[in-house]
Amino acid sequence: MGPAPAGAQVRGAAGEPEVMEPALEGTGKKGKKGSSKKRTVAGSPGEGLLQPVKLSRAELYKEPTNEELNRLRETESLFHSSLLRLQVEELLKEVRLSEKKKERIDAFLREVNQRIMRIPSTPETELTDQAWLPAGVQVPLHQVPYAVKGCFRFLPPAQVTVVGSYLLGTCIRPDVNVDVALTMPREILQDKDGLNQRYFRKRALYLAHLAHHLAQDPLFGSVHFSYTNGCHLKPSLLLRPHGGRHTQDRGHRKDERLVTVRLHPCPPPDFFRPCRLLPSKNNVRSAWYRGQSPPGNGSPEPPTPHYNTWVLQDTALESHMQLLSTVLGSALGLKDGVALLKIWLRQRELDKGLGGFSGFLVSMLVAFLVSTRKIHTTMSGYQVLRSVLQFLATTDLTVNGISLCLSSDPSLPALADFHQAFPVVFLDSSGRLNLCADVTASTYHQVQHEARLSMVLLDSKADDGFQLLLMTPKPMIRAFDHVLHLHPLSRLQAACHRLKLWPELQDHGGDYVSAALGPLTTLLEQGLGSRLHLLAHSRPPVSEWDISQDPPKHRDSGTLTLGLLLRPEGLTSVLELGPEADQPEAADFRQFWGSRSELRRFQDGAIREAVVWEAASMAQKRLIPHQVVTHLLALHADIQDTCVHYMGGLLDVLMQGLKETSSTGEEALAAAVRCYDDLSRLLWGLEGLPLTVSAVQGAHPVLRYTEVFPPAPIQPAYSFFEHLREQASLLPRPDKPCPAYVEPMTVICHLEGSGQWPQDAEAIRRVRAAFQLRLAELLTQQHGLRCRATATHTDVLKDGFVFRICVAYQREPQILKEMRSPEGMISLRDTPASLCLERATRQLPLLTSALHGLQQQHPAFSGVARLAKRWVRAQLLGEGFTDESLDLVAAALFLHPEPFTPPSSPEVGFLRFLFLVSTFDWKNNPLIVNLNNELTVEEQVEIRSGFLATRLQLPVMVIYTPQDRKSSVWTQDGPSPQILQRLVVLAAEALPVLEKQLMDPRGPGDIRTVFRPPLDIYDVLIRLSPRHIPRHRQAVDSPAASFCRGLLSEPGSLSLMPVLGYDPPQLYLAQLREAFGHLALFFYDQHGGKVIGVLWKPASFQPQPFKASNTKGRMVVSQGEELVLVPNVEAILEDFAILGEGLVQAVEARSERWTV
Amino acid sequence: MVARRGRRSARGSDEGIPSPPGYSAGSLHLPEFGACWALFLGVPQAALPSPLHRCPHSAIPVKFSGKQQASHYLYVREHRVREGTKSSWPQKRTLFVLNVPPYCTEECLSRLLSPCGPVCSVELQEKPDLAESPKEPQSKFFQPKPVPGFQVAYVVFQKPGGVSAALALKGPLLVSTESHPVKSGVHKWISDYRDSVLDPEALRAEVDTFMEAYDKKVAEEEAKAQEEEGVPDEEGWVKVTRRGRRPVLPRTEAASLRVLERERRKRARKELLNFYAWQHRETKMEHLAQLRKKFEEDKQRIELMRAQRKFRPY
Repeated sequence: MGPAPAGAQVRGAAGEPEVMEPALEGTGKKGKKGSSKKRTVAGSPGEGLLQPVKLSRAELYKEPTNEELNRLRETESLFHSSLLRLQVEELLKEVRLSEKKKERIDAFLREVNQRIMRIPSTPETELTDQAWLPAGVQVPLHQVPYAVKGCFRFLPPAQVTVVGSYLLGTCIRPDVNVDVALTMPREILQDKDGLNQRYFRKRALYLAHLAHHLAQDPLFGSVHFSYTNGCHLKPSLLLRPHGGRHTQDRGHRKDERLVTVRLHPCPPPDFFRPCRLLPSKNNVRSAWYRGQSPPGNGSPEPPTPHYNTWVLQDTALESHMQLLSTVLGSALGLKDGVALLKIWLRQRELDKGLGGFSGFLVSMLVAFLVSTRKIHTTMSGYQVLRSVLQFLATTDLTVNGISLCLSSDPSLPALADFHQAFPVVFLDSSGRLNLCADVTASTYHQVQHEARLSMVLLDSKADDGFQLLLMTPKPMIRAFDHVLHLHPLSRLQAACHRLKLWPELQDHGGDYVSAALGPLTTLLEQGLGSRLHLLAHSRPPVSEWDISQDPPKHRDSGTLTLGLLLRPEGLTSVLELGPEADQPEAADFRQFWGSRSELRRFQDGAIREAVVWEAASMAQKRLIPHQVVTHLLALHADIQDTCVHYMGGLLDVLMQGLKETSSTGEEALAAAVRCYDDLSRLLWGLEGLPLTVSAVQGAHPVLRYTEVFPPAPIQPAYSFFEHLREQASLLPRPDKPCPAYVEPMTVICHLEGSGQWPQDAEAIRRVRAAFQLRLAELLTQQHGLRCRATATHTDVLKDGFVFRICVAYQREPQILKEMRSPEGMISLRDTPASLCLERATRQLPLLTSALHGLQQQHPAFSGVARLAKRWVRAQLLGEGFTDESLDLVAAALFLHPEPFTPPSSPEVGFLRFLFLVSTFDWKNNPLIVNLNNELTVEEQVEIRSGFLATRLQLPVMVIYTPQDRKSSVWTQDGPSPQILQRLVVLAAEALPVLEKQLMDPRGPGDIRTVFRPPLDIYDVLIRLSPRHIPRHRQAVDSPAASFCRGLLSEPGSLSLMPVLGYDPPQLYLAQLREAFGHLALFFYDQHGGKVIGVLWKPASFQPQPFKASNTKGRMVVSQGEELVLVPNVEAILEDFAILGEGLVQAVEARSERWTV
Repeated sequence: MVARRGRRSARGSDEGIPSPPGYSAGSLHLPEFGACWALFLGVPQAALPSPLHRCPHSAIPVKFSGKQQASHYLYVREHRVREGTKSSWPQKRTLFVLNVPPYCTEECLSRLLSPCGPVCSVELQEKPDLAESPKEPQSKFFQPKPVPGFQVAYVVFQKPGGVSAALALKGPLLVSTESHPVKSGVHKWISDYRDSVLDPEALRAEVDTFMEAYDKKVAEEEAKAQEEEGVPDEEGWVKVTRRGRRPVLPRTEAASLRVLERERRKRARKELLNFYAWQHRETKMEHLAQLRKKFEEDKQRIELMRAQRKFRPY
């Protein structure tokens, strides 16, 4: 929802005023220009915070004016809501060109026009004789083959016209481009120039000469070549105004970025005969292009549809312009709509590069919809956006092309002819030019996919559609589950030969990247089949180069990146089922899969061709697409796996346990949950309890699949421990390293209500204790399980897992709440004890079961939640957040994925987690996690308004669920504003680093970088000895060797209760916080952290007056007349070592900051 | 506070650590917490004149063992209270000790102060409390052992002379000596863990005794209530309970709210909506007012977003 704003005040739950404002300044957005310009939001306390509007009665109920009524009515009919209307207006204001700028651009354009007309002509030379070109400029075209017939001379253009979005008023900031068409005089061109790239050669020479002369002009800051829409046969010249002091006017400083003028030479009207340029015609002769006639003399030349289209595009520039200006002309709403659509496309990275879905295409699409009366000129921008998205979502242009052409001339080619030559068909008004010629099928499918998602979002009404639709960027790495880079691109040349794409190469003028793109994506789509939801490819970016340089080679155009959106249900199968062996399709199948295809006999007796992939664990199954892609690319396109850089599963190492390196723990979690299911069955069937069990519910992260490191069944080596005979328990021994950490999994066991329960809180606790004892007895007697009962829980050892069963009585929280007023009225008031009990016995089990359900729907949930938790803990902030709050944030990524789809891989989910955390405006918005879809739209609105009204009483981070609509229980005790702010800053830093690593085609480098915490901010570091860190091996940088933790590798007999919940660093931290919590904060990574970071609280170093409550850890010094208390830092540092004797290796005071 | 701030900024320029956010040396590198602390700096403590100024404590240095360099200080004085205030601690004989370090237990303190005179009792508390804690020992099964921090102690000597001797102590006192080692760190945690494994039979016995007593108490109360049932008191009032022959509505807040709600609904059912012209007018006006209110809210929201520059699409 956009970055959290500066200048905030949020009152903590305790009601203590905590000013968040200074914390925000200078942390996150230091470098951004925006913050310096930001309006001063400081001042009154409520600033920057939404508050319920209070209008006086007179204001609310005054007579409406006509104008007001009209506006309200218009809003209702043309927009979704008044908020959306205001948002759209603001956005358009932001991207529109101001009148002042337009004037300056117009002035610049006039100058450009004059200069162009003044360029001298040259004498006529052969096309191949380019000696006349001055030294400082290179022809912006790869002239392969070089030899070509024809003559060239330069003459000033016959006409200079501005075309494109600038004139229409639909161009949007930033990067304002003005397209100028230069009509070349007829004398330059000759007959048959349409053949064999002659026209393009002349066009390039024309530009080269122009460039040479314009570059010498001081008016221009830069003169560059670029490709028009990435089509490398059609260079264009980019002119930018000079930004420096050479201009007379000082106000023109920033002119450099004001505008880019793009010059496109085009042929004189009616020069080319349209019938020669139909998609079925050939205009690049094989004899010329390949230096040989096509094999099998007499066979027809292959058609060159793309080449023909590029020529046609130049001829149609002006007619398109005319069409658009008549349609969009005076209709403001349509222009707004086009601008919005452009923003929409740009946020999705769909508009750039060769074959992008450009703003021009969208404008034409609007024109088409106007002509079919799907859009009316009086519609608002929002309605235009909606209609176009609706059209895109429901129309497949790859199957049913559309045409703007109204005439029914029989000489015109049919749509079907175009479908044969192009994947996507959208004809212009001439009926001969396919506007979508370069758009690949997968690009169009991506556009369709996005349109569909956006329509769902617009229809859902609940969320802030505007923000998600138009303001949220969707970079490829965050939108797709897996991403793969093909690098170096020169491999694709070989691929073209392997795929026998010579005609396509001829058509594309040697651009092997775009020639191979279509066939490659089709190949992969077919291979991935049911595993794939959508395959998208990046479009080669449009490069710019200096006029003195040769145009960039095809292989230099970066990398080709493919994004895979996976289908989770398809990922579970390791089998690719082919046809039966005797069917004719079997041969195709064999040919497609090559050596991987095998004959297999199935249980139903069928003998079929099949491909089986090796994958045992969930993590490996997620990576089957990797196997498929490398296999198919090597087999069919001759692209070896060294050139395929597959970015999937890279973060798995951070979730892997010690022993199994192939699994990311889903299997281990499932095993624990199975064991829990068995136990709950035992509890249900227990005989001899005075009351029956009414519910057994899990309440531990393992039981909702979000424990970072799942428990493994344990086999303690008895010799490693001391034994406590009477209780049949093991004890840690001081002379041995700390034993393995075993955390019991909490299970809540509700007993039925009965009149026999006492109605007194103390007595209920005693009765519960009696039940715990009885439960232990019965489980031992009836099922032979080792149990240990205490007053509050019973620990049960079952198949190596330890469960902690807590008996609960449903009415207990209510009894704790009861207060009797002096008049004898009984009322219910929340007390800390009742809230705590309610949280533990009612809300936690509900949440656990809801998230357990979520995992069944979205198999990637576990991975995402665990990675997120792992990262927060690795940054030493784990103790500031409850487990549940982080799990809920992860769940929100699945339940409210808009504008994305629910993640199917842990990596992408983790990236979105970082994005959400770093951009969510926690101050003005609650995070509503609609578990099980229980909340209706109206209820959500109600929750939001309730949130605004009570904001100051709520914690800084507010997460609502259907079970918890008012109080945000899981964030009540934290994080504090500082910790949350720190997390936001860390996430904002980590996200770009990780994305850059994953988008780097040469490999991600050290993927653990973002998981390593910065330690230089802490005042004191307490180094711990690994000997007493039981979870030492879970560290981010896993140690090569660690201590023996008293576990047996092979199963033995289990009869003694292992050491439970014994984690020295945690015990140490509890002591530190209790003793010094008023002076310092302590930070630690529970997963094998070897260091505790200590941060002094500055306030604690203020000298305090001598008071009994102030003396803790302080000493008296005399300051002037008075005796004051200051922290006794030397002694405290020694206390750190004393309290952690044996565990602490060293206490490093890192700064002298604490000296007063 | 001023000095501290000055120091911080000086440090910043000396070492040049606050660097722009970025990454170096393979780990996240970030600006420091720094600014977050303004929170704590901004709250000035009310400097109340404390009565303790008038009766200064004497300070006794205390160390964990001989190995430590620096020491904490116990601030001790005689326990005295103003006239009229009740205190269960015996006057003259009680020593009030502040700032007892977390590793110092009651036995330990008793041992350390015994040279001053025989010690009756030592009690450690979280904060000063005039009353002695209830004598009845808390059940170890139901009250988990608290993690100690810095505490205060009331030490009762047998004779008043102990107090004055203690006030004159020079120290430094050593908490852990060779003859009486005090466990800390790993050894302490292991012994704590051992202590946390309790005997279920003892628990059962305790529960049984408690429940017996409880049942007896409940039975007595019931018997008493039975006796009083229907018997008017001196003024002639009869107490009606839910155990009586005609049970009445329980006197709870929820129940009374329910009654009110039922009343309201009954009244609402009788009302006619949109019957009179003025009602029509009012509903329309109400609708308009709603729209206006929404519009104002939206405007406020937009204003905020504009201030946050949220309309920059990229």
